[in-house]
Amino acid sequence: MVSEGHLLAVFNSAHRVMKAENSLKSIGLPILLIPAPRKLQTDCGLAIRFNEEDRLGVMTVLEQEGLLPEFISRLEAGEYVTVWSCPDQRSSATL
Amino acid sequence: MISIDCRGMACPAPVISVKKALEDHTELRVLLDDGAPRENVSRFVRNRGFQLSEERDGDGWTITVIPGATPAISRETVPFRGERVLLITSDRLGEGPEELGGLLMNNFIHTLLEATELPDRILFMNRGVLLATEGSNVLETLLKLNGMGVEIFSCGLCLDFFNLKAKLRAGATTNMLTTVDSLLAAAQVINL
Repeated sequence: MVSEGHLLAVFNSAHRVMKAENSLKSIGLPILLIPAPRKLQTDCGLAIRFNEEDRLGVMTVLEQEGLLPEFISRLEAGEYVTVWSCPDQRSSATL
Repeated sequence: MISIDCRGMACPAPVISVKKALEDHTELRVLLDDGAPRENVSRFVRNRGFQLSEERDGDGWTITVIPGATPAISRETVPFRGERVLLITSDRLGEGPEELGGLLMNNFIHTLLEATELPDRILFMNRGVLLATEGSNVLETLLKLNGMGVEIFSCGLCLDFFNLKAKLRAGATTNMLTTVDSLLAAAQVINL
């Protein structure tokens, strides 16, 4: 599901991630909604997978819609490395 | 020992060829290309309880498959080898809100990739066929599962009903006869 270099935006709220998926897909960004991999250790976390080249587009949309994720990880040499964390906890409220 | 040459075959043909050969033989030698064909076939025969030895052969591999410690179920008593079948009759999991149901079903299928034991066959019927057609969010996963030896079938009648016959993108079409045979002869049927 996730290859080297893929970015995963992890959400802990089903409602937020579904809205995020709709927003991103409606403007044609090539994203895929998948369960967060076990290695990321989130229970029933969901992730939106995208490529580095779409990162700016994805983040712009998510920020505009108030749908920033909890964090973003990249798969590097078999390990998930956090490359971004939500700075404001209030804008990443979970259910 | 019979020998089959699967070099040059595209996924999932190597696994399917080996699977068919193992229905009639308890051991065999198979010639494979390096990479996904060798990995998929090795994984497939190991999961079926066979032992194997692999030998480099030019750019490819020769894999020798012999019976493992666990005996296989005799073909005379059971037409299928006690297979595990996943019957999926909707593109949603559960009776709740549609959006949640769709999300759950997609998640279930994606998570199959992390399962320790894969089903032998997935049968899609009714709205389930939508998961194997163009526009489905789980096509990439279904194709991976197919490559790992999971047979994937969608009901032809259902595809026709939804006008999606030309939009099938994962697995093959099947009919009610195969579906009935599959379910009656399976050792385990999981119905979602």
